[in-house]
Amino acid sequence: MLNKIRKTALLALGLMAIVSCTKEIDDLKPINQATADSVFEDPAAYRSFLAKIYAGIAVSGQQGPAGNPDIAGLDEGFSNYLRLYWYLTELTTDEALIGWNDGTIKDLHYQNWTAGNEFIGTMYSRVAYQISLCNEFIRQTTDDKLDSRGVDADLRAEIQTYRAEARFMRALSYYHALDMWRTFPFATDADPVGATLPPQGSAQQIFDYIESELLAIDGDLVGARQNEYARADKAAAWMLLAKLYLNAEVYVGTNRYNDARLQVEKVINSNYTLEPVYGNLFLADNDQSNEIIFPIAFDGLYTQAYGGMTFMVHAPVGGDMSPAAFGINGGWAGVRTTSTFVEKFPGMANSSDMREQFFTQGQSLEINDVSNFQDGYAVAKFKNVDRNGNPGSDPSGDFPDTDFPMFRLADAYLMYAEANLRGGGGDINTAVGYINQLRERAYGNSSANISAGNLTLDFILNERARELHWECHRRTDLVRFNQFTSNGVWPWKGNVPSGTTTASFRDLFPLPTSDLSANPNLQQNPGY
Amino acid sequence: MKTFLNSLLLMALLFPSILLSQSTVSGTVTEAASTLPVPGVNVIIKGTSKGTTTDFDGKYSINVNNGDVLVFSYVGYATQEVAFNGQTTLNITLAEDTAKLDEVVVIGYGTTTVKDATGSLEKIDSETFNKGAIVSPENLLAGKSAGVRITSSSGSPGSGAEIRIRNGGSISANNNPLIVLDGVPLYGDANNGNIINSINPNEIESYTILKDASATAIYGSRATAGVIIITTKKGRTNSPLKVEYDLQISTGKLTDKVDVLSADQFRQYIIDNGGNENLLGSAHTDWQDQIYEAAEGGIHNVTLTKGFKNSSIRVNYNLANQNGILLTSQYRRNALNLNYEHRLLDDHLKVNVSSKGSFVDNHFADEGAIGSALFFDPTQPVQGNYGGYFEFEDEDGVRNLAPRNPVSLLLLRDNRQRAKRNISNIQLDYKFHFLPELRFNVNAGFDYEEYDGRYFTDPTAGFNNLNDGQFAAQGTYNGINKNRLLDLYLNYKKDLSSILTNIDITAGHSYQRFYRVGKARNLNTSTGNFDPVVPPSPFQLILESYFGRANFTLANKYIFTATYRSDISSRFSKDNRVGNFPSAGFSWLTSDEDFLKDSNTFSNLKVRLSWGITGQQDIGGSFAYLGVYSPGDIGSQYQFGNQFVPTLRPEGYNESLKWEEATTYNVGLDYGLFGDKVSGSIDLYYRKNKDILQFAPVPAGSNLENFLDQNIGETVSRGIEVGVNFSPVKNENFTWDISTNFTLSDVEIKKLSLNDTPGSIGTLTGPTLSGGVGNKIQINTVGYEPNAFYVFKQVYDSDGHPLEGVYVDLNGDNVINDSDKYRYQSPTPDAFFGFTSSMSYKNLDFSFTLRGSLGNYMYNNFKSANGYGQAILNQVGNQHYGNGSTDVLNTGFVNNQQFSDLYVENASFMKMDNISIGYNVPFDKMKFRASLTAQNVFTITKYSGLDPEIASGVDNNVYPKPRTFVLGLNFTY
Repeated sequence: MLNKIRKTALLALGLMAIVSCTKEIDDLKPINQATADSVFEDPAAYRSFLAKIYAGIAVSGQQGPAGNPDIAGLDEGFSNYLRLYWYLTELTTDEALIGWNDGTIKDLHYQNWTAGNEFIGTMYSRVAYQISLCNEFIRQTTDDKLDSRGVDADLRAEIQTYRAEARFMRALSYYHALDMWRTFPFATDADPVGATLPPQGSAQQIFDYIESELLAIDGDLVGARQNEYARADKAAAWMLLAKLYLNAEVYVGTNRYNDARLQVEKVINSNYTLEPVYGNLFLADNDQSNEIIFPIAFDGLYTQAYGGMTFMVHAPVGGDMSPAAFGINGGWAGVRTTSTFVEKFPGMANSSDMREQFFTQGQSLEINDVSNFQDGYAVAKFKNVDRNGNPGSDPSGDFPDTDFPMFRLADAYLMYAEANLRGGGGDINTAVGYINQLRERAYGNSSANISAGNLTLDFILNERARELHWECHRRTDLVRFNQFTSNGVWPWKGNVPSGTTTASFRDLFPLPTSDLSANPNLQQNPGY
Repeated sequence: MKTFLNSLLLMALLFPSILLSQSTVSGTVTEAASTLPVPGVNVIIKGTSKGTTTDFDGKYSINVNNGDVLVFSYVGYATQEVAFNGQTTLNITLAEDTAKLDEVVVIGYGTTTVKDATGSLEKIDSETFNKGAIVSPENLLAGKSAGVRITSSSGSPGSGAEIRIRNGGSISANNNPLIVLDGVPLYGDANNGNIINSINPNEIESYTILKDASATAIYGSRATAGVIIITTKKGRTNSPLKVEYDLQISTGKLTDKVDVLSADQFRQYIIDNGGNENLLGSAHTDWQDQIYEAAEGGIHNVTLTKGFKNSSIRVNYNLANQNGILLTSQYRRNALNLNYEHRLLDDHLKVNVSSKGSFVDNHFADEGAIGSALFFDPTQPVQGNYGGYFEFEDEDGVRNLAPRNPVSLLLLRDNRQRAKRNISNIQLDYKFHFLPELRFNVNAGFDYEEYDGRYFTDPTAGFNNLNDGQFAAQGTYNGINKNRLLDLYLNYKKDLSSILTNIDITAGHSYQRFYRVGKARNLNTSTGNFDPVVPPSPFQLILESYFGRANFTLANKYIFTATYRSDISSRFSKDNRVGNFPSAGFSWLTSDEDFLKDSNTFSNLKVRLSWGITGQQDIGGSFAYLGVYSPGDIGSQYQFGNQFVPTLRPEGYNESLKWEEATTYNVGLDYGLFGDKVSGSIDLYYRKNKDILQFAPVPAGSNLENFLDQNIGETVSRGIEVGVNFSPVKNENFTWDISTNFTLSDVEIKKLSLNDTPGSIGTLTGPTLSGGVGNKIQINTVGYEPNAFYVFKQVYDSDGHPLEGVYVDLNGDNVINDSDKYRYQSPTPDAFFGFTSSMSYKNLDFSFTLRGSLGNYMYNNFKSANGYGQAILNQVGNQHYGNGSTDVLNTGFVNNQQFSDLYVENASFMKMDNISIGYNVPFDKMKFRASLTAQNVFTITKYSGLDPEIASGVDNNVYPKPRTFVLGLNFTY
């Protein structure tokens, strides 16, 4: 009897072994989703991966305008890099405020944010994500990897340039991290994915890293103005290095104005020219401009997002403004500016300075109710129409063609002048000449030209606002001039209608509490 | 063999007194209650394998010897033994088995009896199901079992409910129980609780709910959230052709409306608050009246059953047609169920084939209309210029950011889906010829579903807002969900009476493979073309398992059960792929001990103890451990020069992802008092979930995502579950059964992140609120229950009115910011109960089910997002206004105060789920039954919203559940 049981059991177990499927499990592979091993069998994958790194600033995920986000934890439309960067660098200043009720968004202008602020937290995640993307690209394109995949010489040479651009993009995001938080989780391509808790990089460490990276890639980047449109070249790296040096005193307490001036000079000597008409820099065909050194490219049909330029064109339109004049189907009625900024233009809303583009009809100068779009002047800067007034390519009027000018020549001129004033060498008359080029463009003549005597740091700060407002420079400028928190007052700063100063620890943003919980290596910034 | 010896012995003993004389006895077996003959009753001479079964008329005839004992047995009825003393006729009346101790219960890979079970499990059969026009099967169970919560949040026709057995205990992994339909485990989706709505509730014979680890651990990696085994109805051998037609006609109505300002109140509010009256219309529109209607439904079931000598067949056709109360929403199910059973090889081989096919047609209404109806200006008319409907306009046509006419959202859009599904399996059960104690069981099955949907919109509709050259939105979507299964097991059952031991051992192997894919194509409204879509990446999962169970019963009193399962899942990397899940259980039939045997009080007493480890692996995608690359679509490309380059994104991954593990301890007591007049069970459990699968923040910079599936966290769950069944009256004419259950439970998070410090805030969770983008109101924090509301403490004036924007400075730093929020209650109830009463007097019956919940809280998101002045007055562009909650008149709030604890309300409730009255007309050859049922009869609650029962705990534009009246007619021939 027992024997029979044994036999039967063996038979049955044998049957089970036949249908066993351990191998099937081992062999189960994703469909329509390549792994790192297989994806680079297609040589075009390297270029597509690099495109993702650039697109990481412009769009929110793998489905335009939304649907497959890069970042979790915040509405996808809000989670876009450039939109959040604009929030943190503009809404926190005198240049802009917003009327919406989205979470803690108003705290940005009130300067009373906490470490739980989701916009600061998601920007932090975005920056870290962008760095991770670049790290992965660099990991996947080492000589060893390329050898193992048998990549041919031509493609290899191209990949060498891609790698340099990925390192530039990583340096750019580390620069944003340094500017906004000073300390940041520090991870490079040397760290394997998912296996480590990144240590907290000090400001000095991150500063040094950005500097060394930008210097190291100079040889591999394509020469200034020689690369395909929207890809970074040597001039973009020089510009970033110049910005790093110009702010070095604030970031790490070291005076590097001379280095800043040297880098800016290289940019200025690279044959960029000022766009003759200021307003054309912000239109749907601004990719034609020879002033823009490094853009973030958008397209109404092929590069769609609810952040980036879609936000920058739609959100400031409301009240009596005509959406059609902006080449869009409707305004989002959110963003306006404060009287403090309006007053930077002589004659305010009726200034002869053509950089003044306020829309005042139905709008009041002063802001009683932050939520009311018609409290505060509107700013008609970014538009989805070309210089002939034709709307962009998206017939629905949702997504603009307008590109974002992240670095442009006017900024370089202003930086040269500032570096010179701060003792960075160079020539004061050259500096005055650069400034007057900007002012002649702004006034259409030389009536508002300045002399060396007029060129003061205060003038520079105000001129930067007039020239570069709403282009993500203001917060950095105010911090560098020590006017962001404990000095400097504008309406609704500190959540008071007339404005008040705030504590200077807010010159830095807090590290998000979620990351403090996830990573024991991190210490919160002081004050938070 | 032993039995044979025994009977030989018995016969030898009897031989001298009675002459060995064969005679024939015959008779009719009838049912006590209905007095109808019962076909298919087993009639066996005790101690032998000799026997027969009753024929179609309940008649039998058998050759017997004097002194033989005849055993009459039939499933669901008390077995009767009658000694033969020379009678020629023996008529037997079978009574329903009330003790139910010998009732067979289907468990994982086998069956047991109530008496032999060591785990905490509960069988709920069709008699105790909820009454009414029930479309989705899980609603049959609401309020019927302790520890089981069934929450249907939506009144959308055909929508399912969230099922929680012992609260689940996981954080972001699937907390839905595993559902096993006739031996086929169905795919449970964390985001889609409605996996069984294609199954016809009429065809469900019973549910077995497995609660503790001794019962569930045989399902290993999918068992932590509990298991529900569904057994469908089958035919019976030797039974006459039975034809049954069952009809339920229902009509449903909205129970109540959300309190919004009326047109007059609204106008006054605008005037009083300095608004521009010129922007208002002159109509008086109650938008809620405009979007809801009475909903009719009809459920038809036609069933044929017939039993032959060795086989039986059951065929059921079901048409369920249910309109929703929201205009245009409709659900229709056409289902055909077949079951065929055949016994071959002298009853040694049993073959059962079961097939459940269905066509489910849905017409989906745009549920955005529900919120829009609350928000839309009540002074504006319904009719207007855009497809016949009013819309807010500006000089360019429809105002871009104004709300859309709720009626147009419903009537100018057409969104239909058909899902075709078949769940079939064939089960072979072979008793070895040379060793009948050993069975070999094979179950091969599949679940295959295809769905196809498409939507069209009217080009003139305001919500399309078309510019010249643009096309109206339309699109298609479709997908396939399939799983296939092969289970093999051996079962050896032997009564070793010499050592007073029964053994029952099972060992087997299981293979199941899942595949799910879906894609959508939307018209590019700019070009009028369908853009190419990125080929979808399907979900794939293979689960291979070895399992075993050993059951030893000593002296008919001490029962030991051990189970073991080893699961191999393709979800995890090679190193983490295998998970082992043991359990052990012990039960002691105390009432069979000498000291209780003759007790008048305790008719049954059983003590149960169990321990076991179960798993949870259902989270996210199929390859979360593997780094993959996702291509971008046409709209997410990036410009390099004159070319747009498609992007390629590396996805984050977690190589060390593995099972979530739960260890459960259970102490239980099954009792029957006073001849089982009162019976039930009491269970206490303690469960610790560790390595909890969480979609949690990743340390910034360490991975290619900011959130990833990770094994971080621990929770502890505890609970007490009490079930009481009471039969106050039971006689020939009148029976009254009361069944109640009561549950106390809680869950606490013990660990949440790598770096839990006393000051750790935790992780925000739950649905995104309306009223601002991306805001969440719930949080998971160590030391608290999951999904706690994270809010500011509202300050009130001396009259008890809330002071706008004034909150308690909880940390005392003189600044009110995020760090002053606190955790206040949660949506999970502290206690819940069900109460069912069933009475029958002669042919009349009356029953009702009450269900309640205590200590569950709800965030009233409608009030928080629409109950302040700016929500009404400050609309984008200032060219229109939005309606608001009447709460604005109470609070007077001007600005959004959505994080105030004012909006977290006690949502404890008691609901009359259904009341039913029925009458059976006993014709001779036919049965006829008529019934009237009211569903969702009333709710007693302090909660100010429409319905205190919403699973997420956030009340925001939920499809309201109607009150339904049902007429039921049933003909059985």
